[in-house]
Amino acid sequence: MTKLSEGTIEALSNGTGVSDAVLQLVNIRKLDGGNGPSRFRVMMSDGRHTLSSFMLSTQLNHMAEENILAPNCICNLKRHVTNILKDGRRVVIILEIDVIKPAKDVAGRIGDPTPYTEGQSKGPQSAPVPENRPPLQPQNRNEVNRGLNRDFGKKAPSVMPNTPGGSSKVVPIASLNPYQSKWTIRARVTNKSSIRTWSNSRGDGKLFSMEIVDESGEIRVTGFNQEVDKFYSLIEAGKVYYISKGSLKLANKQYTSVKNDYEMTLNGESTIIPCEDSCDVPMVQCDFVSIGDLENRDKDAIVDVIGVCKSVDDISRLTTKSNREVSKRTLSLMDMSGKVVTVTLWGEEAEKFDGSSQPVVAIKGAKLSDFGGRSLSASFSSTLMINPDIPEAYKLRGWYDKEGHAMDGQSLTEVKGGSGGGNTNWKSLSDVKTEHLGHGDKADYYTCVATIVFLRKENCLYQACPSQDCNKKVVDQQNGMFRCEKCDKEFPNFKYRLILSANIADYGDNQWVTCFQESAEAILGQNAAYLGQLKDSNEAAFDEVFQHANFNTFVFRNRVKLETYNDESRIKATVMDVKPVDHKEYSKRLILNIRKLAANH
Amino acid sequence: MASLLDTSKPRINCSMLSQHIGRGVCFVGRVEKVHPTGKTFSVSDGEGKSATVELNEPLEEELSGIVEVIGMVSSKGVITTTTYNILREDKGIPFDLELYNEALKVIHDFPQYYPFEVAASG
Repeated sequence: MTKLSEGTIEALSNGTGVSDAVLQLVNIRKLDGGNGPSRFRVMMSDGRHTLSSFMLSTQLNHMAEENILAPNCICNLKRHVTNILKDGRRVVIILEIDVIKPAKDVAGRIGDPTPYTEGQSKGPQSAPVPENRPPLQPQNRNEVNRGLNRDFGKKAPSVMPNTPGGSSKVVPIASLNPYQSKWTIRARVTNKSSIRTWSNSRGDGKLFSMEIVDESGEIRVTGFNQEVDKFYSLIEAGKVYYISKGSLKLANKQYTSVKNDYEMTLNGESTIIPCEDSCDVPMVQCDFVSIGDLENRDKDAIVDVIGVCKSVDDISRLTTKSNREVSKRTLSLMDMSGKVVTVTLWGEEAEKFDGSSQPVVAIKGAKLSDFGGRSLSASFSSTLMINPDIPEAYKLRGWYDKEGHAMDGQSLTEVKGGSGGGNTNWKSLSDVKTEHLGHGDKADYYTCVATIVFLRKENCLYQACPSQDCNKKVVDQQNGMFRCEKCDKEFPNFKYRLILSANIADYGDNQWVTCFQESAEAILGQNAAYLGQLKDSNEAAFDEVFQHANFNTFVFRNRVKLETYNDESRIKATVMDVKPVDHKEYSKRLILNIRKLAANH
Repeated sequence: MASLLDTSKPRINCSMLSQHIGRGVCFVGRVEKVHPTGKTFSVSDGEGKSATVELNEPLEEELSGIVEVIGMVSSKGVITTTTYNILREDKGIPFDLELYNEALKVIHDFPQYYPFEVAASG
């Protein structure tokens, strides 16, 4: 029979810290959240007492919804924080909890617990927190926290201890919610935006935003107008501050990768005070996505990535639409999935970046795009970290030095004009369909090895304007003259151009493609002018060209895009380039893929 | 030996010789030394190891470069040739023996995907 941690309820009610307490869940009740996420109120028992003022933090809602947390189950309360309400009552917010025995395996209530009421036992009573707290004094705060740090050591803080001085406690970011307004957090600013101004019919204003992080999580903070004046110059990215009394509301997840259901707005009552003792506060919170997984994410998603910078290109300079000059730099990032993605850096980050010695690069809030397949961009709101001091970085470094450096890696980003090995987006024709390439807003490009199985020789030639750079179809005036609408001229002649419709196939699937002049001529092995001549003079020879061209295998680089004509959407594939198969390269690639597949099994 | 040409002849390298004793095989390798009698010569595979090849009749031509030998493996690990092809170096793409060896390893590591036996008997 699992033993419960008796005395826990009493300790929690008195504000004494507990860690890893074994408790039994007596009851769980859903509170309708109205506009926001639901909250679950929980009653727990330690065998001696029960306490009904537990609240599940919203990030754990799924445990309640999936019935993992159900009456009678035995749990290990790993992390929590206690908040004090206006009337002095305590609420214990559950931040991390494990179910060590599911409800169905537990016969019933363990022991005969009675509801705990204040004053029942002789534990030290905490002084009720005064309603209106004055802004924090930095001095008190530092002393108090240094004392705390000595007690904790470097353990993950499971509890915010009660300070005898009566000044306010620091709560974890993960516990912030719109229902409590009197809190203080201690967090590091990971990202501070510039001041943005706006002007519309309702007036004008300014704002700035930042992301802050502590041991429990992260949250986005915005300040408007007066708060900009009050706080903007005070705040520096990378430094730690005590922040209190901001307003919490539901987060707009569209523009940020910050993991929090809520976001904070600074208001007239908010205070921000620098914290001197900041070593415990982590530098950043990231939820890294494996590079191999990026293909499965939607374009325009905001993700955190970490990888080894395999190579970096030189800086290039572009001029934007608003005639500003901006620096740009691309690097290729590889992680343990063996996949490589191209990352674009801009401005100062591009200029400062040093890719020598293949550093580990982490980016928080990078923007995923479908350019060239999949690629990443570090936007103004992304945070770039070189060789960050986090465990994932060390893991990557170890892996890269051992195996990664020898791998070519398969790139998710197609490089224009590049083929072979590292940078080509190789796909099989069935991949193209299953991955829905071309279905996004932008066209997709891929390379494949395929065999021509059908060539449509009817209407593969058209009469085009003989002018050098014009390929528009001309109208036969029937009087020996041909008119080009684009050039607005008439000509006594024309040039033949090819538009060849073909079906190509591989082991898994087939694909209808359109080949224009260059690729059509490469496939047919004849130029358009000669073919035009043959068609008019020697039909048998003309047919033979097509017979001959059939069933040849090539490396095709194709462009696919979903096009809509009159309510009907169809995938259109165009051949951008045709090359003979490089069998050596093909073999090497196949062998590598086979070995990779085998290794992952 | 008509019968040998009817059966499946797995492609092997030197390390696989011992497992194919008494069986018909196909061996691709680079010609090393030709015995003065012309009835036997040594070949090296993509891993650099060597094997001996024996012929029924002495060679009538200069042998060099990469050859493909079809024959049977004797108990002593020598290939008694039924027929051979020279993969000419002056024509087409040069043969990459090391790459061929890698492919060979794949075929032998995953026999379930390369059912040559079935195809031959079919």
